[in-house]
Amino acid sequence: MVDERKIWAKVIGTVIFILMEIAALSMLKHSGSLQDIWITKASHRVMAWVWGGFDSVGHYFSLKTENENLARENAMLTEALRRSQDRVQTAMENGLLTDTTLIFSGYEHVPASIVKISRNKQHNYFILNKGYEDGVRPQSGVITSSGIVGIVDAVDKHYSYGMSFMNTGISISARLGNEGAVGPLTWDGITMDGAVLKEIPLQYKYSPGDTVWTSGNSMLFPPDIPLGIAGSSKVVNGAVNEIEVELFQSFAALRYVTVVSNSGREEIMYLENLEEGQGEE
Amino acid sequence: MKQTRFLINFLLLLIVQICIANFFRLSQYVMISILPAMILLIPIKHGTIPALFIAFVTGLAVDLLSDGLLGLNVLALVPVAFCRLGIIRLIFGDEIFARKEDISVPRQGIWKMSVAIIMAIALFLIIYIWADGAGTRPLWFSGIRFAASLASSYILSLFVASILAPERTSGSRR
Repeated sequence: MVDERKIWAKVIGTVIFILMEIAALSMLKHSGSLQDIWITKASHRVMAWVWGGFDSVGHYFSLKTENENLARENAMLTEALRRSQDRVQTAMENGLLTDTTLIFSGYEHVPASIVKISRNKQHNYFILNKGYEDGVRPQSGVITSSGIVGIVDAVDKHYSYGMSFMNTGISISARLGNEGAVGPLTWDGITMDGAVLKEIPLQYKYSPGDTVWTSGNSMLFPPDIPLGIAGSSKVVNGAVNEIEVELFQSFAALRYVTVVSNSGREEIMYLENLEEGQGEE
Repeated sequence: MKQTRFLINFLLLLIVQICIANFFRLSQYVMISILPAMILLIPIKHGTIPALFIAFVTGLAVDLLSDGLLGLNVLALVPVAFCRLGIIRLIFGDEIFARKEDISVPRQGIWKMSVAIIMAIALFLIIYIWADGAGTRPLWFSGIRFAASLASSYILSLFVASILAPERTSGSRR
C-alpha cells in the first residue's frame, strides 16, 4: 500500500514536472526571438522523430493496400513510358529528334513518405521522412500522381517540414483544360478534396467536368499534373469567375509522395534578379 | 516557528537573488545564482511535488522581476527540484530519509554539502546557459560561462546553506 502510494507520487511528480517544463518553454518561446526559433526547430525535430516511430508501426499494417496502390501506379507509369518511347522512336525515325538526352523535364524527383500530417487547422502542415541528405531542398514542390500536396518549408538532416496545400496561405498556378486560362488555385478551407480556381476571365468558356492541371508557370511544380475536375462557378466583382474544383488527391488518405525540385531554379532566380537590377538602374 | 523562519529567510534570499540579477552583472561570462541551493535546502519532509511548485514560483518571480527572458529561470530551476531528493540520496545516503533529518553543513560536513550544492548548481547552469544561448553561442563561450558561474554561485551558495540550515532557523546548535 505504501509502495503503491510512492509510485503514484512519483508518477504525479513526473507529470507535474513535464507540465511545468512545457509551461517554461512556452514562456521562453514568446519572450525571445532566438529562443523562439530554437524551440520551434527542436519541436519539429522531436515531432518528426516521434511520428516517424509511430509511422513505422502503422505502415506495417497497411502494407497490403499500399502495395496494391503502388502496383496500379506502376502499371500506369509503364504504359505512359511505353507511349513516350514510341513517340520518341517515331520522332527519331522522322529525323525530328537526333539526341534523346535533349528530353529533360527540368525537375529532380525524390520519393518520400509522409510521417505526420495535420488536417484540422487553417494552416496545415506535413513532415516527410526525407531531408537534405536525401536531396530535398527548401521551396520544393510535393506531389503525387493524383495532384499536389504542398511545399517544403524547412529541411533537416533526415526529415522535412512542409506547408500543406490545405493551408489558407498557399496558392498554386493552375490551368483550366488543356490550353485554357491560368489562375491561382487555393484550398476551399473546408473539405479535404475541395479547392477554388480564381481569377478566370469571364470571356473564357469552360464546361463543368473539365480537368484542371498545373500550369508550370511557378518554379515549384512541373506542368501538366492533373489536379482535379472543375465544378460550378460564380462571378466575383462582375469581372472574373471563381470555379469550384474537386481535387483528385484527397488529403484524407495520403502516404507516398514525390518531392520535385526545379533544377534551373537558381538560374531563373539569377535572371530575375538581373532583370530587377537593370530595371532599378 | 521553524517553518516560518525558513519561509522568511527563503523570501529574503529570493529578494537577494532578484537584486543580484538586476544590479550585479559582473560580466557576460558570470551568472550568479543562489536559487539551486535554495531549492536543495528545502526541508526533506516536503517531497518532490511541493518542491516543484516552490521552484516554479521562485523561478517565475525572478524572471518577472529581473529584465531577463521570461521562463528561463523556471526552465532551469524546476529540474533541480525534480532531482533534489535524488541528489540528496546519492550524496548523503538513504539514512537521512530514515532519520527524517534535514541537510546542513554542521550535520553532513562541508565536503558532502559542497558536492550536493555543486551538482544542483551544475544542473541549473547547464540548462540555463544552453537555453539562454539557444544554440547560437560557441562551446568555448558556454564552457567558460559555466565554469565561472559555477565557481561564483558555489561560494555564495555556501552562505545560503548557512542561512537556511535547520540549526540556524530553529535557533539551536549542536
